Amino acid sequence: MATQVRFGFEQLRRAPLVLFVLLCTVVSGGPFLWVAAMSLRTTAEIFRDPYGMPSPVHWEKFVDAWTKSNYGTYFWNSTFVVVIAVALVTVIGAMAAHCLARYSFRGNRLVRFLILSGLILPPQLLILALFQILLDIDLYNTLSGLILVYVSTHIAMTVYILEGFFAQIPQDLFDAARMDGYSDFEIFWRVTMPIGAPAIFTTVTLNFIILWNEFLFAVVLLTDDDKRTLPLGIMHFTGSHQLDVGMVATGLMIAILPIIVIYAFSSETMIKGMTAGAVR
Amino acid sequence: MAPREIDARRAGVGILIVFLAPALLVYAGFTIYPVLRTFYNSFHAIKPQGVVEFVGLSNFVALLFTDSIFWKAVTNTALFTIVATIVDVVGGLLLALCLFARAPLAPLLRVVWFTPVLMSYVVVGIIWVWIYDYDWGLANAVLHWLGLSALEQSWLGHPSTALWSVLVAHEWKWLGFNMIVFLAALHALPGEVLGAAELDHCGWIAKLVYIIVPMLRTTIVNLLVLSFIGKMMVFDLIWVMTGGGPLWSTETVSTYVYKRAFEWNTFDLGYPSAIAVLWFIIILAFIALMTRLLRQRDRLEF
Repeated sequence: MATQVRFGFEQLRRAPLVLFVLLCTVVSGGPFLWVAAMSLRTTAEIFRDPYGMPSPVHWEKFVDAWTKSNYGTYFWNSTFVVVIAVALVTVIGAMAAHCLARYSFRGNRLVRFLILSGLILPPQLLILALFQILLDIDLYNTLSGLILVYVSTHIAMTVYILEGFFAQIPQDLFDAARMDGYSDFEIFWRVTMPIGAPAIFTTVTLNFIILWNEFLFAVVLLTDDDKRTLPLGIMHFTGSHQLDVGMVATGLMIAILPIIVIYAFSSETMIKGMTAGAVR
Repeated sequence: MAPREIDARRAGVGILIVFLAPALLVYAGFTIYPVLRTFYNSFHAIKPQGVVEFVGLSNFVALLFTDSIFWKAVTNTALFTIVATIVDVVGGLLLALCLFARAPLAPLLRVVWFTPVLMSYVVVGIIWVWIYDYDWGLANAVLHWLGLSALEQSWLGHPSTALWSVLVAHEWKWLGFNMIVFLAALHALPGEVLGAAELDHCGWIAKLVYIIVPMLRTTIVNLLVLSFIGKMMVFDLIWVMTGGGPLWSTETVSTYVYKRAFEWNTFDLGYPSAIAVLWFIIILAFIALMTRLLRQRDRLEF
């Protein structure tokens, strides 16, 4: 009986906490559910009742968005740019990080400082000159130009995360590998890469999400409609179909879903990666 | 075999070049060179057809002494940065403490609260433009439902509310990130210390002020600096939601740089470059100041 009473008091004291937590959850999750519902309703239905449930469910809106509007093109442009940029930045970032973490050589500190200083460079400081440079070398308004810019601007973060992890791999392993006659590349490929896989996975998901969402570089460096990435495409579509709320909502979901899928599979690693730098 | 060959810490210049060259080349070409070129541009007038004219410091002089929009943008960015940074850190800590205090379903809530961090500014911006819509938006609907119809208004359409409305959307996206960083830091705290405080009947406010906050100092400083950098460069969300309007009330330094470079018919990349350079120097100065002021001289041992 006594324990039951105490249990009751405990519950009472926690009530404000539970209420507050509930409120936060509604505020942070609500807008997403609202958009998800709207993405399956027609604009006419939405204007009749903005907060209704999707009934009937208009799955065909996703097909329409994909084929009749340009979302299919935007989606594949985004996929193409992001996959290639992430692959490149991961490989060359890992090579540089391995080199900085493993070898002691003259200039090690200078190279590290140069690369890591990229962490605090505002994009605005680059973007005007990048516009000129890409015009000069005929890569303005091309996906390859955008890929190069993405790789370059994300080397700093990639090297920062990977170098921190690679440096913690015990030196004994490398000495042993060297004794066994591994070449420098075999050491990189067969020791650092497999052991560093968790860190590499972290940078891959982080870079993927950041680049998938990137807007400023893309909006300055691309102009043709058939080259637009998803964020630009959505902006463009919203600008020209302001009143077609239903279709815009469908477009938003097309942009969000890949991220949600990745998040569902890797939330733990991602959270670890994003917090590691700031907690230390 | 000579001992040098076995030392795994050494490598020939060729090997180093092969490992470092790809990263360094791309980085030099598309990050270092553009930065240097922006500095160069800031002392020039860059007209179309490759006309470049040296103008000395006149871009900076014009910027500092005659450009009232620039100062409006600086004021807005400063307000936005100060308020958002404080909300980020205080709010993030508060949310993390809620989950740390064993709120029900904490692991699930952590995932839900973090989701907005993953959405692009374009998506967040459009969602919040709808939420603020005068006719059918969620904000006015909630006010109406609460019987506060007098407060209903065009949130983004009025100069006095626009900046704060964008700020709310910005915090909606970023609070989850700060929460998750604080939560990780809280879980890394030694349990004995918190347990000892509990045995001493230390109230939770005292526990927060005297134990948790001092022990989280490094995390707090890191998040302050991180938030600060992000807010000083805020562009995407403002661009999507208000484009800097109405009446420059949400114009930030970054949106102004973009407008001067690509939207105004001034056809000069030199002047916006000068803004970007000046702003970068100010950001650097503040980072140096913040880390110097807030850094812990004697590290807490725990």
